[in-house]
Amino acid sequence: MNKRKWFKLAALLMAAAVIGTGCQGQTEKEQGQKKGGSTVQIDFWAAPNPTQQAFWKKMADRYMEEHQNVKIKVSPMPESPSSEAGIQSAIAAGNAPVISENISRGFAAQLADSRAIVPLDQFEGFDDLIAKRQMKSTISTWKFADGHQYVLPIYSNAMLFGWRIDILKELGYNAPPKTYSEVIEVGKKLKEKYPNKFLWARADLAKPTWWARWFDFFMIYNAASNGTHFIDGNKLSADRDAGVKTLQFFADLSKNKLVLTKETKDPFESGTSVMSDLGPWTFPYWAEKFPEMKFNEKYVLSMPPVPDGMDPSQSKTFADTKGLVIYASATKEQQQAAFDFVKWVYSDPQNDLEWLKETNLPPARDDLSTNEAFVSYFEQNPQLKLYAENIPNAIPPMDNAKMVEIQELIGKEALNPVVKGEKTPEKAWEDMEKAINGVLK
Amino acid sequence: MGWLLASPYLVYSAVFFLIPLFWALYLAFTNWNLISPEYETVGMQNFIDAFFSPSVRAAFWVTYKFMLMFVPIVIAGSLFLALILHHLPRWKGLFAVGYFLPYLASGVASSIVVKGVISYNSPLNQFLRDAFGWDIDWLGSPILAPLVIALMMAWKFVGYYALLFLSGLESIPKEVYEAAEIDGAVGWKRVWHVTIPMLYPSFYTVTILAVGLMFGIFTEPYVLTGGGPEYATHTWQLEIYNQAFEKLNAGYGTAVAIINSIVTFASIFVFRKVLEKWGGKHGWE
Repeated sequence: MNKRKWFKLAALLMAAAVIGTGCQGQTEKEQGQKKGGSTVQIDFWAAPNPTQQAFWKKMADRYMEEHQNVKIKVSPMPESPSSEAGIQSAIAAGNAPVISENISRGFAAQLADSRAIVPLDQFEGFDDLIAKRQMKSTISTWKFADGHQYVLPIYSNAMLFGWRIDILKELGYNAPPKTYSEVIEVGKKLKEKYPNKFLWARADLAKPTWWARWFDFFMIYNAASNGTHFIDGNKLSADRDAGVKTLQFFADLSKNKLVLTKETKDPFESGTSVMSDLGPWTFPYWAEKFPEMKFNEKYVLSMPPVPDGMDPSQSKTFADTKGLVIYASATKEQQQAAFDFVKWVYSDPQNDLEWLKETNLPPARDDLSTNEAFVSYFEQNPQLKLYAENIPNAIPPMDNAKMVEIQELIGKEALNPVVKGEKTPEKAWEDMEKAINGVLK
Repeated sequence: MGWLLASPYLVYSAVFFLIPLFWALYLAFTNWNLISPEYETVGMQNFIDAFFSPSVRAAFWVTYKFMLMFVPIVIAGSLFLALILHHLPRWKGLFAVGYFLPYLASGVASSIVVKGVISYNSPLNQFLRDAFGWDIDWLGSPILAPLVIALMMAWKFVGYYALLFLSGLESIPKEVYEAAEIDGAVGWKRVWHVTIPMLYPSFYTVTILAVGLMFGIFTEPYVLTGGGPEYATHTWQLEIYNQAFEKLNAGYGTAVAIINSIVTFASIFVFRKVLEKWGGKHGWE
């Protein structure tokens, strides 16, 4: 055989390998439908978290026992370098699952913008699902600008502030402050007694990290604005007055040296700071590492403080919440089967209870604090009760495909310079507005 | 027959290098967002945007800043370590492996450890505050943050590069030292005029590896600083990751990746020429 023939053979091998690789995803997908005649195969990607995977595996097994024609394969979503990047790569490679959890509203907006996911409200039985799971109020804030619901929230962490009540008591307070001036007053007293302690230790206040804004800026802004949407569709709809007040609050904290923006290890637990943004995921960690952190002894929880003159009982907060989406690349049959599975899971509050016990993440239900099914759980875990009560008061992330850029600009143009004392709140808000409008153009 | 034997490698290279390379070259001229089925070609727009982007400019300069800090530290450190290992009477292999271990450590794990060591309430900072009144913002200062990352990377790579220097040291013939001794070169003179020039191949390899490494930094700034403060640790890889996977600008991210590879190639080329000139002076071709 001469050189040319060998070259042709090598080229043929290469082409075969390329075609083989390219066709793999499609073949598997087709197999998903054809296998076993009328059996529908669903790939379910669970969050890369053992407790959530265990829950969904259990649910899938039970569902398959009752529904022989459905095969659900639960596997952890790839998270290299992040779960979002894993999903994006899978979509780009044509290997997206039929359904996945662990999707934030912001990421869903990016997926919906590219028509990679389907609107859930168009499935038969959607309204029935919402009614059965008692989540009409919670899901109302999840509606996208185009009027559709693309994500079914699974859990909702109404972000709260933890306060070191033991230290507050030393300062003469029996309850956490509720308004801006009360917070500053507590901070000043703290500094008088303990010059090396801080009100809030949060290095992210000085960084433009986009997702960090959920746990500082949006907690305070949502409380000040009564939950006014920051972005509506493709327009900046933020409440300017509330926004400037929010930035003024951060400026006052910084001016009085009440915030620590250096990296600090476990500042709240060690007592370096007396206030901290807390989600329910903290408590299992404390149970293991800081058993001395007892609710009502060492710490209490509260909704974010509000500007002076506002009613603190009406405070709103940020909802750290994720949910389920169904991918557009799946066949209609697979999509409907996935939706039916979800409907089955959420038709029984006992499944939500099981989720709560397994993951410690509050199910996104309006009736979480009142439903009989959860009463005994909250009696045993009183620290989670306030989270449950405030699910309807928690605002999910914005539904804009440019969320990352927008939130980066909130940090870069407004929050970071205000905390560093480089801009006045008014100037910072103005610069931020200008920059965000540039991105939304 | 040669083609047949080489075909597995050719197929592998085509699937994992050539096709992605041509695909990336194409993507760099589109506005694809990685997930949308629809996208358009945008000509040179991505490259023009990258040229005027403050974050790309920052990545460009930050890489050289890292290089200025990392390359001298890692070369001095690994040479020092290699000289110690070379003169050890026994257990040379054991110590060499010991110093090599940080290279195998996960970047995420070591970054988290470093974060703990330099945190505000760490014993180190507590001591600095109590003893000297120094309240240092290690990761909040645009000068200290890159230095912390450069030192951390030097710790990681010093053992690996020391092995390269060690093999260079071991290969210097004894006769060269004996001849130098007869000519009166002893002590520091011997190191400076004999050992270091004789180590030229190791210097060449280590410098090129260290320079190339600076264009691929990701994990450490991603975990420790997120690229801040004020872009002081914003590397090429962070920019590419942020654009492609966070902001879903895959086309633009690919354009930045191509610019990164051109800058990397050009920088390594310049370093090679400089090193070859230095080597030529000492008789290395």
